Amino acid sequence: MSKLSEALQSGKFVVTGEVGPPKGVSVQEMLESAKLYKGRVAAVNVTDQQSAVMRLGSLAVCHLLKEMGIEPIFQVTCRDRNRIAIQSDLLSAYVLGIENVLCLTGDYVTLGDHPKAKPVFDLDSVSLLQAAVQLQQGKDLAGKELDGIPKFFLGATVTPGANPLEPQIIKMEKKVKAGAQFFQTQAVFEPRKFEEFMQTVKHLNVPVLAGIILLKSAGMARFMNKNVAGVHVPDSLIEEMEKAENRVDTSIEIAARLINELKGLCQGVHIMPIGWEKRVPAVLGAAGL
Amino acid sequence: MNAQVPKPFEEIVGYLEGKKKIVLMGCGGCATVFHTGGIKEVNEMAEKLAKQGKEITGKIGLPFAVFACYLPMSSMLLNEHKKEIQECDAILMQSCGDGAQAVRRYLEEEMGIVKPLYPANNALGFSSGGPTSFKEECQACGECELGKTFGICPFVQCPKGLLNGPCGGTTADGKCEVDPTRDCAWAMIYRRAEELSQVDKLLEIVAPHQWSKAVRPRRLEVEPIDLMEELKGTKRVIEQLGV
Repeated sequence: MSKLSEALQSGKFVVTGEVGPPKGVSVQEMLESAKLYKGRVAAVNVTDQQSAVMRLGSLAVCHLLKEMGIEPIFQVTCRDRNRIAIQSDLLSAYVLGIENVLCLTGDYVTLGDHPKAKPVFDLDSVSLLQAAVQLQQGKDLAGKELDGIPKFFLGATVTPGANPLEPQIIKMEKKVKAGAQFFQTQAVFEPRKFEEFMQTVKHLNVPVLAGIILLKSAGMARFMNKNVAGVHVPDSLIEEMEKAENRVDTSIEIAARLINELKGLCQGVHIMPIGWEKRVPAVLGAAGL
Repeated sequence: MNAQVPKPFEEIVGYLEGKKKIVLMGCGGCATVFHTGGIKEVNEMAEKLAKQGKEITGKIGLPFAVFACYLPMSSMLLNEHKKEIQECDAILMQSCGDGAQAVRRYLEEEMGIVKPLYPANNALGFSSGGPTSFKEECQACGECELGKTFGICPFVQCPKGLLNGPCGGTTADGKCEVDPTRDCAWAMIYRRAEELSQVDKLLEIVAPHQWSKAVRPRRLEVEPIDLMEELKGTKRVIEQLGV
């Protein structure tokens, strides 16, 4: 059974981490980062060619993590595979002992490093969840019977800071209906607004792990405000980073404070260190996790 | 309509290199609306090519609402100009690729004439609006989803073609992160659902699209229309409008 699923069922505040596969085949540094998570988080997401940048595959890295005794979350986007390839990869994950699957739409190709590529998006995040559920019921999307049935623990994403928010919530509800068993959110920096969001989706009765991005600098915060849809870092945090004597300490302090404020609001946090994996143990320590 | 723009003149001249006697053919449909092959543009092309030393032996201008792609109409003109076509070195089609190929097919299969035939335009596909601004709204996928998406096609309006709601890439002002000059398709769909008090309908999951309906080339058989009767109807409406 999925250890992530067990952790969420236990009612404890759950933490998940994240690693991004390298562009190439040198996995050592990434695996060193992953090691820092061992024993400290319930599971670790492996991104699927994040930001539409061609990299080592998520499935292979999930397998490597599994071998190290780390519970992986296989991120699957709809950008690069049609329904045949995506179903096949889900089956492949299962035979490698990978049960946690995070179903995403995927960033658009022109935002990545192969802008001339043909985008796929044959399925979307909702129909991808349905496909996984159908495989668990012993049939593929064409209705053909499977020889041997996989089992997954299915996750999805939501952007609590989206504008307009209502279509996001409707889609979240569709994802639950389609089979999503947990959610990881886009980065949260405003716990009060997040609280309102959680009130709005309370009826869905599904565990939510709030996204935590470690702020590296005031400049990074401003960049995200300008360029990352659905992410808003309030001025007070930007100012705090600007005035920081030690950026790393302040960043850890902010992340830990956010996590503590989120503790009563949702079922856990998903930490996206984006290169600052080494700081995660300190963040968790400061947050009392 | 099939939106279109003229090809660079140099490209056309390149196609016609070594060809002396040229027949020009336009289209009274989309090419007239987009100024790429109306009677006026056929005459202009004739003058420009004459300056290049070409002998324009035929000009087949089609009046408005006579479509090159609709053979029951355009074939009448092709037959009328049979002699020029037979004697020419090349035909330049001032229509979309559809009109050009319908004419090529008719010449070969029905009139037994095989001639080099070149395009003068680049077609951009389905587009609606006018008289000045046109927008792409339909990609003729063969399995219309508009009934599930409040009359706005996400295949055309959303770069990812998402059928079940927005991705996380809607910007703070409701635009698309892939192209911030355009509105997020799902923000538009949501607005319409709200205006129609049918937001609850958006909760229905839309099944993956049947791309099998888009396998090309498509072929279709239909009962022919009574052209003369239809034209009488058009004439009546035009008279009622006082034209």
